[in-house]
Amino acid sequence: MASCLSRLCLTSRLGGKTMRTIGCRGLNTSHISMMPKSSSSESTTDNSVEKESSKKRGKSTQVPSYEQGKVSRSGVELRFKYPEMFPEPHMIWRNPIKEKLERKDMLARRSRIYIPEFYVGSVLRVSLSNFHQADKTSTFVGICIQRNECGLKANFILRNVIDNLGVEVKIELYDPRLLKIEVLRLEKRLDTHLRYLRDAPHEFSTFPLDMKPEIRRTDDVPLNRIKVKLNPRPWTENWYKYDFKGIDNIEDQITNKMNRRRIQLRKPWEKYDMMKTYRETLPEEEINEILSEIKEDVEEHEQKHRRRIN
Amino acid sequence: MFRSLLLVFERRATTMSVLLNIRSSGCSSALWRSFHSSPTTHRLQKLSRLRVVDNSELGKQAMMEGKPPKVIHVYNKTGIGTVGDVVLCAVKGMKKKGVIVGCKAQQPSYIPRTDSNNVVLIDDNGAPLGTRIVVPVPASLRTILKEKTHAKGADYTKILSIATRFI
Amino acid sequence: MMAALRARAISLFQGILCNSKSNSSALDVRFQVCVTQVRSHKIIQIPRFRHPYWHVRKDRSHYSENLTAENKEFIQETIAKEFGPPTVVSGVQTYGSPVKNVTKVEPVEWFPGIRRTSTIARKIGIQPMWLKDGTRVMCTLLQIVDNHVVKYNPPENVIPLRRREKVVPKKALGRYGALVVGAESADPQEFTKNYCGLFRESGLPPKRRLARFLISPQAVLPPGTPLNAMHYRAGDYVDVTGFTIMRGFQGVMKRWGFKGMRATHGVTKTHRRPGNIGAGGGKARVWPGKKMPGHMGGKTRTLRGLKILRINTEYNVLYVIGQNVPGQINSYTYIHDCLLQHRWVREAKDARPLPTYIPKEGETHPEDIYAADVHPFDGSSIMYEVVDTPTVRTGAKIAKAKGGKK
Repeated sequence: MASCLSRLCLTSRLGGKTMRTIGCRGLNTSHISMMPKSSSSESTTDNSVEKESSKKRGKSTQVPSYEQGKVSRSGVELRFKYPEMFPEPHMIWRNPIKEKLERKDMLARRSRIYIPEFYVGSVLRVSLSNFHQADKTSTFVGICIQRNECGLKANFILRNVIDNLGVEVKIELYDPRLLKIEVLRLEKRLDTHLRYLRDAPHEFSTFPLDMKPEIRRTDDVPLNRIKVKLNPRPWTENWYKYDFKGIDNIEDQITNKMNRRRIQLRKPWEKYDMMKTYRETLPEEEINEILSEIKEDVEEHEQKHRRRIN
Repeated sequence: MFRSLLLVFERRATTMSVLLNIRSSGCSSALWRSFHSSPTTHRLQKLSRLRVVDNSELGKQAMMEGKPPKVIHVYNKTGIGTVGDVVLCAVKGMKKKGVIVGCKAQQPSYIPRTDSNNVVLIDDNGAPLGTRIVVPVPASLRTILKEKTHAKGADYTKILSIATRFI
Repeated sequence: MMAALRARAISLFQGILCNSKSNSSALDVRFQVCVTQVRSHKIIQIPRFRHPYWHVRKDRSHYSENLTAENKEFIQETIAKEFGPPTVVSGVQTYGSPVKNVTKVEPVEWFPGIRRTSTIARKIGIQPMWLKDGTRVMCTLLQIVDNHVVKYNPPENVIPLRRREKVVPKKALGRYGALVVGAESADPQEFTKNYCGLFRESGLPPKRRLARFLISPQAVLPPGTPLNAMHYRAGDYVDVTGFTIMRGFQGVMKRWGFKGMRATHGVTKTHRRPGNIGAGGGKARVWPGKKMPGHMGGKTRTLRGLKILRINTEYNVLYVIGQNVPGQINSYTYIHDCLLQHRWVREAKDARPLPTYIPKEGETHPEDIYAADVHPFDGSSIMYEVVDTPTVRTGAKIAKAKGGKK
């Protein structure tokens, strides 16, 4: 109870907004989609505020930049760089020793294969050994529409349109069958998942199979503010129930009854629900502790793979 | 004049549709069909519609006429078809067998999930009716169909040779 | 007035109590008069559950003792003097000093039917592992938490537990001794004096959890012997017993997997109900054992034949195949050697460390020991060999070839 109270104090000290940017689980998208994160402009300001405040408090977890002349990022931002390294904040499933062992395994795998930084909305090329193929390997290019689960269970879904057919493949991030993950376009989108691309026109999820990686100028990850137009109903899921930032024409597509339901389901008060925030987020101290544990190893592996590529 | 006014009114109604119970202008008649489109309906079972993805004359005509084949039996124990299962379809008043080469429902890791339930029509010996599959098919079909083929039964592996792309 | 009455009642009651102590035979006679004789019982009396002899009251009420800070410190010092300073060993909170007067364990030769001791573990989580052929399997992590042998009871002294369902077969009587094993050392102030007394002989700090395992007398271990993950080997098969998750009062659909009834078509208020529960006629009653709604979960259940895929020697963690080990995460489980008689279990049963793993001086282990078919996480990526498969003669071709011969 005491720890609970102290965490609550922390939440109140940081304020709801900052807390959301720090510890939002961001992985279990089905849950988050009901309450999407604050819009991009807000979040950027939040980050800047967070940076300042962390400097003031002297708690800044400054990471040495891995490329010279690039802006280094704070620990809070790094939390989203390796989202699967952080446990699900549900108390009944947590055990510190298991989490430690799992992190060790993840780092062991990262020493073998370069798992780059990518987000929902980034375009990836994944090559893996496939028993069923003639040459025993297969490659898939697509946009990452979802990232799921924490720890070794972590997986993501790639989507592409090939021969006018929308195809999706779910890939396990720590599977030893994975040979290479290549980021062709590194960017973020407005929503925590893009499953609605299934009901959007094909042009929004078409990527050439021989796409070449785009050159990155800065260390920052750009935010793509593109808004998709959904096809007319029926849809695969009831998108009207959620507030998606990346859908343009949802109100034109739904009936009045649906619109009423859509407004009913809005929960604007949830951002003030401190207990909910507490339950669904990791405290900043814990994030920094985990980061300090994994940071050196992850960066070492990253540099090693970088050297190998160059 | 009246028409343009109505349009303006309707456009406004879209935004204020909570208060005014008026159909919004963007709605086509398709929008008023009220049936579930939740993932349970992605299941490939009896009476579900399929998309023919080979270039067979029969399949093409059926798709062009807007009468896609309907599953009337799934040849497995569960009654719900997945990649590699053989189904019996009703196409243009005929009974034809087909092999499922793509599923809309959620799939295990590495097996592609497609936006439509795809089928390749075959005859009773397992020979495909068409000469080419126009969409990518899962690579796991190779193993599944080879296992399905027995010395005395139909030879399903023939459809592998007409596939253009494996994922 | 009332107070006076109450006082009188109490004094009377005390008088009776004293009477019963001094002159019990007289009381017995009185009671015998009261007993009504029952000639026949319809239901046979089932032997009642008998508590193990070491079941003494464990928890005490934590009232404030108004101790000064110095006194509290003194108590901690005394505990530290007895059991060593509080430390964390392989991720578990315990006391530092080794157990005194432990006799050395000698290895025992295997013979068919020998039964080793089991261990107490915590279920700490679930994670996937990959086999060398690329298959993904889910496994459960069981941490053997600070296990020590507390006491041994030879076969002639063992009183078997009697449960409602199971009565111990006579064959088993006198065959197995009972080894009491404890897990997770704790502050003695947490427990009653009686409970702490159980550990006096062995010189151990009191344990949070005690369990009694039936073992062959040949595989006996002296009190104070530590048990760790090296008691098992990667690739062995084990049975895991746990206490299933409490689900409360549940209906038949959730508890027994009944199908329920239709959602529509005239069904009223019976969508999730069991339906008929018995026949009429001669047997106009409900048969015993009928599956009905009731309390679900919270029962001891064993999952048998689980393979150990990996052992972490640093934290004493077993990675056991399967994600359905009974119990919640962080709950206690018991790990036994597999009792199944399948061929895959029997193989190499005799090479297990007997009676337990005895560490040799200067011997070190790798941190992780993997079973033969498990892919280690620091291993290189799995690649399948490209084999030039000869063109398979399929059904039609074979038929053609046969026809051609004719």
